Formats: sequence, structure tokens, C-alpha cells
Amino acid sequence: MAKPKIKPEIGTEKVVSVSPHWNVVVLNDPVNYQDYVVIVLTNVLGISHTQAKKYMLIVHNEGRAIVWTGKLERAEMFVLELQQWHLSAQLEKNG
Amino acid sequence: MAELRLTMTAEARNVLTDLLRLIAPAAARVSVNRAKIPDSDSELASFWTESLSAQAGEEARLLAAAFANAKGDPAVIILKNEAQSLAFLRALSAVRFALRELVFSDIPDSQLEGAEDLDDENLPNEKRHALACYSCFGLLQQSLIGQIDS
Repeated sequence: MAKPKIKPEIGTEKVVSVSPHWNVVVLNDPVNYQDYVVIVLTNVLGISHTQAKKYMLIVHNEGRAIVWTGKLERAEMFVLELQQWHLSAQLEKNG
Repeated sequence: MAELRLTMTAEARNVLTDLLRLIAPAAARVSVNRAKIPDSDSELASFWTESLSAQAGEEARLLAAAFANAKGDPAVIILKNEAQSLAFLRALSAVRFALRELVFSDIPDSQLEGAEDLDDENLPNEKRHALACYSCFGLLQQSLIGQIDS
């Protein structure tokens, strides 16, 4: 006996991450030299000299730059490390 | 990276050493006060504060030892490897911030960026002295950055 054909119901839904992303923001300061900021960003974030210089110029010209975005724990670690290097860094929720 | 050297006159070394003795104990407080510490989690905030304070303590010891060991005229600070050089660079930034916050917080940021030209005879001697030291620490930082980059 043939089994009745049952058409399975297949649905799709978007999977959206529930954990919000966080921005690591560096603010301009009057004390640290531009070249120092580049060295710090290179060492802490592990980015290239060119990328670090780009961020430094944004900080210098616009007063602040988002230098990293991602999960909270990592963002906190970066902010603490940047502060330990005496950059003015802070955490901001993204979106 | 080969060892790096910072050279200064014995007089400059003595003046900067004296200033470091005065300013270093307060550097930790300045470092913590400046930092924007997340306050939503008290345990994290406490860890954060302790980390910054410990860091400042290490930097004060590093600077004190380096200047104390720089004998002779000219006095030379020798940094043996990259880690030492970067730590010293960071410590110099800390002391410049401490001076900025504790001695001349009234000077606007825009003026401070050209601090090398900021010698004003109308300022009290204490402040002029601190500004001169601030510039000297900056020159040491720039010399070190130049050597690291080359």
C-alpha cells in the first residue's frame, strides 16, 4: 500500500544575532604625538601601519574614530589596553 | 631590534629625576580618573581600576630605575629590546598626562599641542618649570619613536 504523500512544510527564517556589537572609539587628546598613536594602534589592534595611520588622522581631524567593532568582551579588552597606553578610548554600543 | 639609547645632559637628567619623584605617586590616580571605565558591572569596573593602577605603578618604577641608572654626562638611558622601548614610551606618555592634569590643566588643549613654544614669562616659575620638563619628556618620546621607526 502506498503511503500517502505528505508535502513537508519547509520554511526559512532569518537568523539574527542577538548580541549587539560594540565600537571601540579613540578620542583626540592634546598630549600624545601622532606617531605614538600609530604605534599604539598597531600594537594593540594588530593592524597595519597604513591602517593605523588612517585611524590616527581621523582622530586628529574629526576628534574621534571607531577603530574596531565586535563582541563586547573583546571590545572591553581593547579599550582597557588602549587606556593602559594612555589613549583616550571608550566603549560604545553599535546601533 | 637593536638596543636604543636616549641621551641627555646630566643636568637635564637631575631635573627630570627630581620631577619624577614628585609626580609619579599621583600618576596612577590621573590614569584612573582619565579613563572612561564601564560602570554597568562593578566587578569589571574594579578589575579595570586595579589594572590601570597597577600599570601606572609599573611605569613609575620603570622611569625611576631608568633615570637612576643613567649615570655620567651625558647621561644615557639604554633600552635593550623592543618590549623595553615600548614600555618606556608608554611610561613617558603617562608622566606627560600627569603633568598636564596636575600642574597645568588650565592651559587649553589647543595651546598645549604647541607646548614647545609655550614658554610664557608671565606664568609662575613652578608652571614654567613643569612645562619645560613636559617638553623634555616629549623630546625623549620623539627620539625613541624615531629610533623605533627607523
